[in-house]
Amino acid sequence: MVDSNQREFRKRDLFYVVPLWFLSLILPDPHLDHRKESRFRWRDLFYLGALLLLPLMWPDTHLHHLMVLAGINAILALGLSLFLGYTGQISLGHAAFFGTGAYTTAILTTRYAFPTLVAFLASALAAAALAYLIGKPILKLKGYFLALATLGFGEIFLVIVRESPNLTGGVIGIFGIPWFSLAGFSFDTYLKQYYLIWGVLIGLLLFSKNLIRSKMGRAFLAVAASEDAASTVGMKVAQIKIGAFVLGAAFAGFAGSLFACVMSTANPEAFSLSLSILIIMMVILGGMGNLYGPIAGAILLTWLVDILGKYQEYSLPIYGLILILLLISFPDGIGTRLNIRLIYLISYWGRKKRRERVEL
Amino acid sequence: MTPWAYIPQLISAGITIGAIYALVGLGFVTIARASQIINFAQGEFVMLGGVITFFLLKRGGLPYPLAALVAVISVVIIGFLLHILVVYPLRKASIPILLMATLGASIFLSSTSGLTFGTLPKALPPFSGNQSLQIGGIFIVPQSLWVLGATFLLLVFLYLLSHRTLLGKAMEASSTDPLGADLLGISRNLMVFLAFGVSAGMGAIAGILITPIFYTSYNAGTMLGLKGFIAAVLGGWGKNSGAILGGFVLGAVESLSVAFIPSGYKDAVAFVILLLILYFRPKGILGSPYIDSRRW
Repeated sequence: MVDSNQREFRKRDLFYVVPLWFLSLILPDPHLDHRKESRFRWRDLFYLGALLLLPLMWPDTHLHHLMVLAGINAILALGLSLFLGYTGQISLGHAAFFGTGAYTTAILTTRYAFPTLVAFLASALAAAALAYLIGKPILKLKGYFLALATLGFGEIFLVIVRESPNLTGGVIGIFGIPWFSLAGFSFDTYLKQYYLIWGVLIGLLLFSKNLIRSKMGRAFLAVAASEDAASTVGMKVAQIKIGAFVLGAAFAGFAGSLFACVMSTANPEAFSLSLSILIIMMVILGGMGNLYGPIAGAILLTWLVDILGKYQEYSLPIYGLILILLLISFPDGIGTRLNIRLIYLISYWGRKKRRERVEL
Repeated sequence: MTPWAYIPQLISAGITIGAIYALVGLGFVTIARASQIINFAQGEFVMLGGVITFFLLKRGGLPYPLAALVAVISVVIIGFLLHILVVYPLRKASIPILLMATLGASIFLSSTSGLTFGTLPKALPPFSGNQSLQIGGIFIVPQSLWVLGATFLLLVFLYLLSHRTLLGKAMEASSTDPLGADLLGISRNLMVFLAFGVSAGMGAIAGILITPIFYTSYNAGTMLGLKGFIAAVLGGWGKNSGAILGGFVLGAVESLSVAFIPSGYKDAVAFVILLLILYFRPKGILGSPYIDSRRW
C-alpha cells in the first residue's frame, strides 16, 4: 500500500524474465483491488489443494520440516503485514513478541503442566498485552525513529531473557516442551505438525481477510495513506495503530507458541534482530498491503535460508547480497505488477527488433 | 569500597567511548543532513576501519600511519560503493525498503569481514605506549587522550567543511530545501554521495582510534552503529553539536551504569535511554531542526 514508484522498464529486467514468467502463474499480485481480495477466487482453491497435497506427494521429512518452519514464518509475516503492509508502520522488534509467545508456552507447559491449547491461547494474549503496553508510548513515533525504538525494545527483551535464568533459563533456554496436543491427539511428526500449522495459518488468513474488509481494516489503509487525512475525517489514528500492532503481536504469539511446541526448546538465539529482519523481508518481498504475498515471501525466504545453510561460513555474505539484490530488483514485492512488467519486456523486444530493422 | 569511589574513573572511561559514539553519531547526521536517509551500515565502517588497519599492520607489514591511512581510504571507497550500489538505485523507494537495504549491506559487510580477516577479536597497539597516566587520582590510558584529541580535530574539520566551504553549504542546502537546491543547480545525488564518503571516513577513523582500547571483532559494528544513532537522537537529531553532546552523555551514563546494575544489563542501558528520550523529549537535549516536539 506504500506509494509505489511507477518504474519504467530497465534492461536488467531481462535477466529474470523466464523465472518471472513462471512466478507470475502462481504468485499473488498484491496490486489487485482490495475488495477482490476477500472474494472467493479459483486461485484460492488451487493454493489450498497444493497445500494439502504437497507433503503427501513429496514424503520427505526435510521438506516437511522446512514447510513447518515456513508456516510459522508465514504466520509471523501475516501478522506483520497488518502492521507494516496495511498500516504502513515499521517494527524491527517483532521477534520479541514471537519470543514472548514461545516463552509463555514453554513456561506454562513445563513448569505448571498446562495443556498446550491453553498455553497456545495464553501466548497470544501475553504477546498482545505486551504489545499494548509497549505500543502505547512508542507508536507516536514515525519512520526511522519507530524502527529504532522497536529495535531497542527487541534488544531489551533479549537482554532481559538472557539475564533472568530463573524464569527463562537464561542463555541456555528451556528444554522439553511437549508436542502440541488436542483432545488426546498429539502432533508428534512433521507431517502432523505441517497440517496443524498450515491449518492455523488458514484460520488466521480468513480472519485477516475479513478484518481487511471491515471498518478497522479500512482504517488501517487510511492511516497508511495519510495520518493527517485519517484524523481529519475523525479516525483515532493512535488507537488504530495500536490495534494493528496488538494484532500483529497476537499473531506472533501464536507463531511463537507453535514454534516452541515444534522445536520443543526456546532459547534467546531464535528471537534476535536477524529474525525481525527476515520477517520484514518476507512482507516486503511478498508485497505490502497484501495477505497472500507475505505467505509466499515466507516460503521463499525460509527455503532460501535453508539452502544457504549448506554453504557454512559463506551463507551470511550471500544472504546479505541476495537481500540487497532482491530489494533493488523488486522494491514493491516480487508479485507486484508482474504481468505488466512482462508486457513491458515483450514490447521492449518487439521495439528493439523494429529498431534494428529500420537501421538496416 | 562503595560504588561512589569509582565514579570519576568510570566517567573518564565513559568519555573515551563517548567520543567514539559521537563520531559514529556525526556520521549518521552527515548523511541524514544531505538526504534524510539513515544508513544502518554506519557501524560497519567503524569495524572495518579497525579491522583493515590491523590486517595491514600485522599481515601487510606496513608502518602504522600508512596502514591507518590506507584503511581510511579503503573504507571511504566502501562508503562510496555502498551509495552507488545500494542507496542510489533505491533513492526513490520508501523508508522500510531503504532501511532493509542498509541492514542487508550491514550483514554483508560484517560477515564478509569475518570471512576475509578472521572472526577473532582484534586489538591494535596503542599509538604511544601503555603506561597509564595518573591525573588527580584517575588513571588514564594515553590512548584516551589520542581519542579525545583526534575527535576534537575531526570536529573542527567538520565544522569548517560545513560552515566555511561551498561544498558544505551545498550539502546543507540540499537537505533543508531539496527543490531550492535543485533550482540552484546543486546535484543532490552528488551531495549524498560525498556525504557517504565523509561519514565512512569518520567511521573508519573512529574505528582506528578505538581498536587499541576495546577489542574490535567482525560483529561489533552493528551495536556501535546503533549506539551512535542513539547518541545522535539523544543530543538532538540533525545537529552536529547534538551528536557530540549525546555521544559523551551516552558514554558516561553507560559507563556509570556498571557501578549500579549487573553488567549483563549494560547493553540494555542505551536502549532504555533511547525509549525514554523518544517518549519524553523526541527532539533531544539540544533540540532538533527536523523534529517538531508537538507532532512528528
